[in-house]
Amino acid sequence: MRTIAVVEDNADNRLLLQAILDGQYSLVEYDNGIDALAGLNASLPELVLLDISLPGMDGNEILIRIRADENLRHLPVIALTAHAMSGDREKYLAAGFNDYITKPIVDETILLGAIERWLPAGGGRLG
Amino acid sequence: MDDATSQLLPVEGTSPTDPAALARLRRFGGDKLLREMIDLYLEGAPERLVAARTAVATNDLPSAELALHSLKSSSAQLGAARVGKLSERGENILRAGSMDGVAQLIGEIDAELARATTWLSSVRDGGDA
Repeated sequence: MRTIAVVEDNADNRLLLQAILDGQYSLVEYDNGIDALAGLNASLPELVLLDISLPGMDGNEILIRIRADENLRHLPVIALTAHAMSGDREKYLAAGFNDYITKPIVDETILLGAIERWLPAGGGRLG
Repeated sequence: MDDATSQLLPVEGTSPTDPAALARLRRFGGDKLLREMIDLYLEGAPERLVAARTAVATNDLPSAELALHSLKSSSAQLGAARVGKLSERGENILRAGSMDGVAQLIGEIDAELARATTWLSSVRDGGDA
């Protein structure tokens, strides 16, 4: 099963992602940026779902560090955010996120579609 | 929508609760997920509100904004619609660098959260959404 890292501080949002993705992907969860960056380096996932509003190091800062890290910079990173202002999508894509999903999650197929779109081809499907 | 516009959204016209949100949660994970999500919300939402109130009292705008942002997000997912709208209003004021009216807004959120708590508790305990 292919592995996705979830970086999200809210337990309710993590539970929701588990419910939607359970059985399709193996999830590794982090509730803060420091642990996430250490964990991503120790055990590389195939994709990262990254909340923007985190205490301490926020999602934008985590992304900068991922893109600056030779081991991590290739990872597809999808922003999860409840900031839904016009122009946000363009802003996040310009910052280096591969995709952008708004919360609350209303249509799970949008999330699943984004994950399928950005998971690297091949790899892990037999696992 | 920009920040200034969303501050002016009429909260009063928002239904206090949104049963469709609960139907979605059931679709995602059945009654088990719904009950667990409600439990997490009923535990976490008051904590976020306390965090927002404390942050406002100490002029810590970023922490207050983060707390109301989290409350907005969770409330919208759980169908506590008016709590979500009021939290969004506070979040936007704080993001603009002001605290004008936020303390009063937190009082309003508290009252709406009590109403949402009654509703969600009833759903969790077997009542209708």
